[in-house]
Amino acid sequence: MAAMLVATTMAACGQDDGATSAPKAPATIPELTKDPLTLSFIWFDWPPAHALEAFANAEYTKVRSNVTIKVNTVPNANWHDAMFTQFAAHKTDFDIPILDSQHIGEAVTNGNILDITDFVKKNIDVKAYNPYLLAAYGQYPQAETGKRDENASLYGLPLLGDTWTMIYRKDLIGDKPPQTWDEMISVAEKCQADNPGVSGLAFHQANGSDAAAVTYNTVNGVYGGNLWDSKTRKINGVLNDAAGQEAMDVLVNKMKPLTAAGSGNWFIDEVNAAVAQGKACIAFNWIAASGGLLDPKQSTLGTTREEILDKLGFATLPSQKTNLVPLGGMGMHVSAYSPAANQAEALNFMKWFEQPDIQKKWAAAGGVPSRTDALESPEFLNAGPFNKVYADSVSRMRDMWNVPEYARLVDIENTNVNAALNGAKTPKDALNDIAKEQQGVLDSGSRKGGGGL
Amino acid sequence: MSDSVPLTTDHPGQVASATPPAPGRSRRLSDRGLAVAFISPALLLLLAMSVFPLLWALYLSFTDYSATRGGPAHFVWFENYTAILTSAQVHLRALTTLIYVVGAVALQTVLGFSIAYLISRRTHGRGLLTTLFLVPMMLSQVVVGLFWKFMLDAQFGVINSMLGSLGLGQVEWLTRQRTALISLIVVDTWQWTPFIMLIALAGLTAVPKYLYEAASIDRASEWFRFRTITLPLVWPLLLIAVLFRAIEAFRLFDLVYILTSGGPGVSTETLSFHVYKVAFLGFNTGTASAYGILMVLVVIVLTQLYLRYLNKLKED
Amino acid sequence: MAVSVDEAVSTGPVRDHTSPARRFGGRGRSVLEIALLTVLAVVMLFPVLWMIETSIKENRDVYAIPAKFFDFTVTLDHFKDVFVASGGRSSLSGSFLNSFVVAGVSTVLATVLGVPAAWAYSRFAVKAKKDQLFFILSTRFMPPVVVVIPIFLMYRQFGLIDTKLGLILIYTAFNVPFTIWMMKGFVDEVPAEYEDAAMLDGYTRLQAFWRFTLPLLLPGIAATAVFALIFSWNEFVFAIFLTSSDDVRTAPPAIAGLIGGTTVDWGLVAAASVVFALPVLVFAYLVRKHLVAGVTLGAVRR
Repeated sequence: MAAMLVATTMAACGQDDGATSAPKAPATIPELTKDPLTLSFIWFDWPPAHALEAFANAEYTKVRSNVTIKVNTVPNANWHDAMFTQFAAHKTDFDIPILDSQHIGEAVTNGNILDITDFVKKNIDVKAYNPYLLAAYGQYPQAETGKRDENASLYGLPLLGDTWTMIYRKDLIGDKPPQTWDEMISVAEKCQADNPGVSGLAFHQANGSDAAAVTYNTVNGVYGGNLWDSKTRKINGVLNDAAGQEAMDVLVNKMKPLTAAGSGNWFIDEVNAAVAQGKACIAFNWIAASGGLLDPKQSTLGTTREEILDKLGFATLPSQKTNLVPLGGMGMHVSAYSPAANQAEALNFMKWFEQPDIQKKWAAAGGVPSRTDALESPEFLNAGPFNKVYADSVSRMRDMWNVPEYARLVDIENTNVNAALNGAKTPKDALNDIAKEQQGVLDSGSRKGGGGL
Repeated sequence: MSDSVPLTTDHPGQVASATPPAPGRSRRLSDRGLAVAFISPALLLLLAMSVFPLLWALYLSFTDYSATRGGPAHFVWFENYTAILTSAQVHLRALTTLIYVVGAVALQTVLGFSIAYLISRRTHGRGLLTTLFLVPMMLSQVVVGLFWKFMLDAQFGVINSMLGSLGLGQVEWLTRQRTALISLIVVDTWQWTPFIMLIALAGLTAVPKYLYEAASIDRASEWFRFRTITLPLVWPLLLIAVLFRAIEAFRLFDLVYILTSGGPGVSTETLSFHVYKVAFLGFNTGTASAYGILMVLVVIVLTQLYLRYLNKLKED
Repeated sequence: MAVSVDEAVSTGPVRDHTSPARRFGGRGRSVLEIALLTVLAVVMLFPVLWMIETSIKENRDVYAIPAKFFDFTVTLDHFKDVFVASGGRSSLSGSFLNSFVVAGVSTVLATVLGVPAAWAYSRFAVKAKKDQLFFILSTRFMPPVVVVIPIFLMYRQFGLIDTKLGLILIYTAFNVPFTIWMMKGFVDEVPAEYEDAAMLDGYTRLQAFWRFTLPLLLPGIAATAVFALIFSWNEFVFAIFLTSSDDVRTAPPAIAGLIGGTTVDWGLVAAASVVFALPVLVFAYLVRKHLVAGVTLGAVRR
């Protein structure tokens, strides 16, 4: 007992000396083991996670027969905590964490994932990608929207691309999707008035994960707002400028009244349920989460996939002052705490995964690839009605901040946008509170009492 | 911590009888040895798993340590504590928690006692009734939270569906500031009313019959009998039940996590939920530790209260 | 003796024929009371019934508006889905297995550690006994969210994060105080004279405990263990923060994980909840005699 006390106390004092930076992965893949090996991923529980496990076990084992792929899944709400508590433990049960793009800053600053810049230079054909896609899932410090900084380090490679799609009822509003945000709102308004029991809109409003925050960020982008000035690290005065205020006004006063009563805690699955039950004219959801909409077992819109597709249309988001759309999806990274053999295998897997033919197969298996050739391939475009939406959206994407303080920034935004959507705060107060509190988080060094309240 | 605290329920004679009739010196020693051998493993486990972590948290609460950011911990002394005690965010959560605790515990006490009283007056089917009423209490909070979330859903939930059939409007149970907190209270009440009921029933059925018989000869009014015989006998038990519930409700986390995740906005965030956010979103371990220590202090005060009542009860 | 449900049944009613209640409107009032009790019972049990109903409905009936109470097609598919997934065992069934292991082992440990301690506290004059017992009790009252922070830091030093052993240890630590308090009550009820008599016959104290007291304690131990089992079985906070992999995760976080994907299969959630709740209800029924003591950490026994 005493020994344990001493050991633990010493360990507590002795560890973590100095802020770490990410350890480097070798440029060339070290020799791979011939022994049986399980390559573990961690993701949240959704269909792409199961698709990845099935796909990788079917295909990767063709080249590496001694390897088994295991994709650990955790509840979405627990995803960030599950990864970062293990990072904090300096022991992970996964080799490849699938981080949200915004998690990169936190993971890199804490030294949790490998720097794979040299590995990418030597093994990956970077020209095959839209530069921003490559940057979004791997670069830190964060890339400017639409660009990649070739001198910046890379910490991950794209696994699954994603963005929002507009889902609309062709039988209620016609085949042609609205082109501008204002038009979309008026179409939804008319549709709601014409079809009792069906609401005009359905979108993410929940205060968990990044639900309400992404919704506001999307409207903010479309109406010409900015989330922050990354160079001066300024949020207050940028987020809540005139454009930002207008976006919040549109969201709360024009869009929210067209949603169903009690939809203030909706996220991915509730929006899907509303669409599948025929309760929404126009809905917004992540493409990677939309596959279930075509499943007749879950839907009242038709008894076959074709019948459902007669009623449901998928389109890129309408534009207004800009045509920005939210960047979704996740990259693959390598845990700094995995055994060497697993890290080598992880690098080998990543190299394998980013090959043109594998990317096409991944597309056919239900994944969303990132290589331009795969995105343009018939395998991808024909795999789902929303895949063309993704291909068309690639050049329009914008991400949030991927600073180490991301988890707190997004929580502040989530809770305040959620409060505004549900009448617990006025839109103006909510936006000003977000700007003020987020600025406080960015400004406060971590070395101060009472941080995080 | 407490010499006033009465914990032993030992019968007066027991300590004496615990000593063997003809105690040899060696036997006494072996008794002591036996006591140490039997008690110390349990105590060591508690020291390692409860006390040591708590002391560690106490140490961290005076520092700016972060579990993920690395770097050594610097002493900031009472900065975490003053920050917490003066934070408007914390005050808001404290108020929410208070409303929740008072509302939920009051509601389930009234309901639980009423049900117990009604059951105690029945001759037939008491066992079955009691057993049925107890089901909610045995369920996991996860199951309770998930399922009520489904039932309270404004669109597809059965509660609004029934209200609709009755011609009443839809209620946004989980997405309006007031109703969300009320929903939390209702769900907790649903789950824990059986707890109060069970204990109240224990008190009610233990009231000696002859007291009532004497009262009925006196032709005392029923309210008078309830007030002078039933209530005084059940009251102490009820208080224990209430204190138990208050302590449990004070640390509520699971239900909030699943039912509302604190929303709308932060209007159903309890203290426990806020601690979680400080600890696992920002990984401000030092602040979270101080927050936790303050909560533990509150619990210890409540526990003390509880034990004092227990003492009083035993004396009566 | 703890007041039990059985006792509540068998004890005669508080009033008899001459009960004054009769004088106050007799029948009418009795009918009113029964009606009130029925309404309350329906309200309290409705969610449980609705859960069972949802678990045997097809998905399109689950979302039907207005809700379908009786006219739906019965299906057992959801229960099948709880245990079987395409291509073998479902991950949910794996988490049930983990729950069995974690809850079972931690209960055994808590019993092995707690029962002897309870006996010692009951029989011997231990130094600062009251303080010790208060300390033991107070550890049980700490908010789990608070405890999990230092436990997390400690576990990462010992590599116990995301291991069954880690969960077992913390559940044991939470169950030992309960076991000691609950068992001390049971030991108090067994006269110490039995052991004294045995010792006069030449047995040692330990033998006396083992041969004479312990057999008398067995029903109490069983009841206590069942309550410890229920706690570990239902626990969520430690489970969600200390575990993440399928091999370790217990059922409560696994069931919570059923929502928040892309579609919510409420039928599956309901079926999983029913399967998960069933053992607890069976166990609770088995220890119904000791429920009052069980839910109050042995504080209320009467």
